[in-house]
Amino acid sequence: MEAWGDLYREFAGPIFRFCRRTLPAREDAEDATMEIFMKLREKIGQYDASRPFQAWLYKVSANHCWDMLRRRRIRQDLETEGVEEMPLEHPDPSQLDRMLEESSSEDVRLALAKLPARSRMALVLRYYAEMSYDEIADSIGVRRNFVGVVLLRARHQLRAALGGKMAAGMAAGGS
Amino acid sequence: MNHYDEITCLQYLEGLLERPRALELSAHAEGCQQCRVLLRALESESKLLALALREQEEAVPARLLSPVFRDKTPWAWIVSFGMAAAGLLWLWNSVIDPWRAQLSQAGFGETDLLTMMLFRGSLWNGWQTMWTMIQALAVFCFALLGYFLLRRGSRRWHTVAMVLAAVMGVMFLPARTGAAEIHRHQSTYTLPAGSEVKTDLILIGTMSTQIDGTVDGDVLVIGGQRVTVTGHVMGDVIVFGQTVTINGTVDGNVRAFVQQMTLRGKVSRNVSAWVNTLDTDPGSEVGREVLAFANVITTEGRVGGDIQTFANHLLVNGPVGGNIHATCDQMTLGSSAQIQGATVYKGRHEAEVDPGAKLASPVQFTLNTRQPEYTSGKYYWHLALSWGAAFIFGLALLLIMPSLFIEAVRNTESLASAGFGALLIFGVPIVAILVCFTVVGLAVSISTLMIYVMAVYAGKMFIAVWLGQKMFGATLSTGGLIGRLAVGLVVIYALRQIPYTIGIWIGLLIAVWGMGALALALYRRLQRTQPAAPLAVAA
Repeated sequence: MEAWGDLYREFAGPIFRFCRRTLPAREDAEDATMEIFMKLREKIGQYDASRPFQAWLYKVSANHCWDMLRRRRIRQDLETEGVEEMPLEHPDPSQLDRMLEESSSEDVRLALAKLPARSRMALVLRYYAEMSYDEIADSIGVRRNFVGVVLLRARHQLRAALGGKMAAGMAAGGS
Repeated sequence: MNHYDEITCLQYLEGLLERPRALELSAHAEGCQQCRVLLRALESESKLLALALREQEEAVPARLLSPVFRDKTPWAWIVSFGMAAAGLLWLWNSVIDPWRAQLSQAGFGETDLLTMMLFRGSLWNGWQTMWTMIQALAVFCFALLGYFLLRRGSRRWHTVAMVLAAVMGVMFLPARTGAAEIHRHQSTYTLPAGSEVKTDLILIGTMSTQIDGTVDGDVLVIGGQRVTVTGHVMGDVIVFGQTVTINGTVDGNVRAFVQQMTLRGKVSRNVSAWVNTLDTDPGSEVGREVLAFANVITTEGRVGGDIQTFANHLLVNGPVGGNIHATCDQMTLGSSAQIQGATVYKGRHEAEVDPGAKLASPVQFTLNTRQPEYTSGKYYWHLALSWGAAFIFGLALLLIMPSLFIEAVRNTESLASAGFGALLIFGVPIVAILVCFTVVGLAVSISTLMIYVMAVYAGKMFIAVWLGQKMFGATLSTGGLIGRLAVGLVVIYALRQIPYTIGIWIGLLIAVWGMGALALALYRRLQRTQPAAPLAVAA
């Protein structure tokens, strides 16, 4: 029981932040954090000790949050969209570089909150939970080969959300 | 010069390109300014993303940081479960079983109560014919509610399937082969003397009903203002309305949910009455039992079996073949009273017994002081057992639906819970009773009231855990929650013992608040299942 308490104290913060990044509202993130830990207590027997614990923890969390989003149909916006067929515009490298220099992490977080659920989830899984493409594919239900496309698409959406003018400028670069 | 596309550059940075292709890209980038800048920009973007996502700009809520994980001492568990088990046993022996026996004596043996209410004879036929759109919608809504509550876990699909199958099974129970004669919304209905209805007779919304002839079946009157039976009914008479007068003969039972019931004739079996006033005239006769919930009850006719009453005032002035069990403010036994069994009376005043009354044994009187007997050990023992029963109920709730339980506990901190609870605690019974009397959905009404009673009882569990958390800190562990539930219940039971009605008001406040918290949790849960608007995407 004490070990469980230690574990909770160590990971409650990171898991809350993970949920906060993936779910739209703070209250949802709080609920999800509590539910994830309750789920963990039931599933702890399924943990494969040969794998890093944190990776497993994020996997459980990702599944839970994705399931919450799925239930609310928030990800419906991309559900029917063919990932394979999405056109990707080539950015103007120097404009992209400039825009990134002018953007703060706060700007990025605000822009991230405007993304569709799948895009937001993909970015969080990759750059917060540091999941592999295989794990991301498994979590958000796309084929392994298209994880890169999903991530790139998410970056484009993020850039667009970061600033309309810059996005327009970047799009002018063409491929 | 050909440039590498963005996705290839990204895969290169992520280390996902095969080595020959990665070397090729690397060599190309050395001589290509545009690709070099793109690689640098993508790398900066990755770093910015990681930084933005990992930055701890927002504090973690205190309630997530302060859970307490502690082992409970085994003896506490043993005592808790022992008390809970004893509480259940006490509930069964002291409350449920005697009631069951008394109801059985009054003609509601085993499942007869439900059968009578829903599926028996004429009423069941009536259900089939009254199968309106509103009823269908009401049942559908309940099924939907059950579905939403149970759908959260895939394993619970089995439960959903069972519930739906049970509902469907009940809905399509084979009807009795006999048909029924049905009359709807007539201002008056008269069955003339000498006439005979050879089936069940159902009257819906009839202002005045006069049965002078013979009915070879049950008579069911719903929404009738005035019902008079001077003829002969070979089955039961069931009336939901204003007044019912039995001058003739009923071979079965009379069940009345009316303002006033008067019996001048003969009922061969039982009389059950939920009424304001019940009068049985000197020449009347009830073959078996009389069970009555009423304001004023006057029995001057002959009763073959027991009289079981809950009333303000009971006057018995006729022969009674069995016992009298009366809970009322005042009981009077008139000069013509002849009680062959025991007379057990619990009231606020001693019974008034006329010297001419003939009793097989003296009146067993218990003064209903409406004040707890603080000096009695039995009182504290019952209190402890009652706590045990509440604890086991809360435990079951917590283990069956932990997420909802925790959400309800959290809602106790919201003032909205009190408002919601106040609205529901008074509103639900009114709506349920209205629904019952309009017979839009008797089953829906009964189910609602049962759920309501359970919700009122469950309310204190959430307040108990909230109190426990205030004393020992927040927790997520099941053991911790159970411990807080146990302690919180002790506090609540202690608070409810405060005299001068303060305890009663505290109990009411807890019930209102807790019920509101539960209702709010259910409401939010249902809200969450609604499709949300897609998030806006900047173009």
